[in-house]
Amino acid sequence: MKAKSENPLLAYHLFVFTRNRWRRQPLLYGAAAFGIALSYFFLFMLIATYEASLVVPLTIALLAICFAAPLMAYNLFSLEYEKHTWESLALTRLTAREILWGKWGVVLTRVAGLTLLFLPMLLVSEADSISAYAVIAGLLLVFSWGALLVSFGMWLSFKLKRTLSTASALYAGQVLVLLLTPVLYTLFTNNQARDVMPIYLVQSHSEAVWWWIFSFLHLRFLVDLNPFTTLLELSYLRDIYAFAYYDPYSERALYPYGLLYLKWGFTQSAFYLLLAALFAGLTYRGLKIAWRK
Amino acid sequence: MLDVKGLRKEFGDLVAVRDLYFQLHPGDVFGFIGPNGAGKTTTIKMLATLLEPTAGTATLNGIDIVRHPEEVRPLLGYMPDFFGLYEGITVTEYLEFFAAAYRIPKSQRATVIENVLELTDLTVKKDAYVETLSRGMQQRLCLAKSLIHDPILLLLDEPASGLDPRARIEIKELIRELGAMGKIVLVSSHILPELADFCNKIGIIEKGELLVWGAVDEIVRQLQANRVLEIKPLGDAEPLIQRLEREPLVHGVEPRNGSLYVHFAGGLEEQADLLSALIRDGFRIATFREESLDLEDVFMRITKGEVS
Ligand SMILES: Nc1ncnc2c1ncn2[C@@H]1O[C@H](COP(=O)(O)OP(=O)(O)OP(=O)(O)O)[C@@H](O)[C@H]1O
Ligand SMILES: [Mg+2]
Repeated sequence: MKAKSENPLLAYHLFVFTRNRWRRQPLLYGAAAFGIALSYFFLFMLIATYEASLVVPLTIALLAICFAAPLMAYNLFSLEYEKHTWESLALTRLTAREILWGKWGVVLTRVAGLTLLFLPMLLVSEADSISAYAVIAGLLLVFSWGALLVSFGMWLSFKLKRTLSTASALYAGQVLVLLLTPVLYTLFTNNQARDVMPIYLVQSHSEAVWWWIFSFLHLRFLVDLNPFTTLLELSYLRDIYAFAYYDPYSERALYPYGLLYLKWGFTQSAFYLLLAALFAGLTYRGLKIAWRK
Repeated sequence: MLDVKGLRKEFGDLVAVRDLYFQLHPGDVFGFIGPNGAGKTTTIKMLATLLEPTAGTATLNGIDIVRHPEEVRPLLGYMPDFFGLYEGITVTEYLEFFAAAYRIPKSQRATVIENVLELTDLTVKKDAYVETLSRGMQQRLCLAKSLIHDPILLLLDEPASGLDPRARIEIKELIRELGAMGKIVLVSSHILPELADFCNKIGIIEKGELLVWGAVDEIVRQLQANRVLEIKPLGDAEPLIQRLEREPLVHGVEPRNGSLYVHFAGGLEEQADLLSALIRDGFRIATFREESLDLEDVFMRITKGEVS
């Protein structure tokens, strides 16, 4: 019983469906792959030539995830309902855990794959002054945002049982969270909170903790937890040695240290991953109850 | 053995299924008949462990379906009324998926798949993509999938709906064969005659209530205890009606198309006595015959055409 058994859901989603799609429409998929490869190469060359800031490939990666992750998850369960296949699946010997892993594992793998696709771009950006911290934090952030999107999408598609509603909710939700809320926050607060507790003042671990608490209380997290603004701040890490050398106590020299104390990028990623786990947990509970697994 | 013990399902105020009791044994092909909204699908879903009963339960080979759904599931095959198949894979890949999901050892999968393909006559389509199959073939593929783990109970919710006459006959043949293999088969339908020739037991459900259930011939016999005689008098029917209504075994007389349809509670003896008495009393009778009951009449007689 306890023996590690194969998970056909995982295998089929990752390999069989994809292989068959290529087999049946090699021209269509070949053309699409060629187009994507071409644009990738073009971007790659552009970044390498101009030694663009690290933030450029990271932002492109994040945009790609914002666009692609909902597409990976929007029909994970809703299609089972719409096509009336869920009952057959529920009656098999697959456990709720295996079904969840079968679906979640597939989309997480895809998000990870898509994220890693941008690693070469990162490595050619600002070639000599690159900060390992920024690369890791940036990639983790992009992956975590994708993980949150697919997990939320998986849960929504389980709850709503409708593909179209799930897809619309995912895209509309992103516009709301990524665009509208930060804009409204900035409009109404005039960004005062930035001056009340600026990042360069955070110069110890305990100050960092207080800073995050403050951010939550002051609703500043609407901006601080936004993955795009998070990525932007990562570019300041590059200056860490340059300014510290000339004027160790200037704002510009202290700013990167503030970011490091705040575990910038990692904190946000942890938050997204926590939410992702929460939605996966909710889906698991749903399977247990609704599918009587 | 499937033992259904007081299965009941309520949706709010609506009692969709009202305290069902019946027992089925290996080899039984049970026709579960009722009009739209009678509660067939609800009952089948409860038996398939997909819907929790409000009260009551059932046991399959002694295992309680409410308390141990995970133990019952490997023993049953279920074909929903609306079913779908995964698209973008071939028939064989589809069956391999379910073989793996039912934890059939890798070494046996090829044989098992070959067997169910043969049983459902799909061998020629084994490399076709699922969505290219016709409706009837998809139905058979769904059945093939339900058989892959060799279940002892098969729940088929209107398996013949949407099929052409030829495909209907094929699916009937298949169901008969499954019964012969010693499985318990429960087939639902709106139409009794559709099931009559291959079911050995039937149950008729209306408004959630199982009105009768048992062996087919027994039910027909039960109903014939209360039979209808068609009597066609020559001339005015009125005196004959008055005369008949005085008979203790006559429960009602309906004039229709120049004939009288008489609900008669007696057997053949009493029927003969009635005819002699009428002739003795001077009635001129052109036709005197028992209206024969086929299964459709049985169905129409038992159900009142009401839906919940
Ligand atoms: N999920 C539900 N919520 C509320 N009522 C339901 C639900 N499912 C079924 N019902 C009701 O229960 C009754 C029985 O429905 P059921 O689907 O079991 O009938 P059926 O015999 O299968 O009919 P049909 O021949 O049309 O398939 C109907 O009145 C239906 O409206
Ligand atoms: Mg039904």
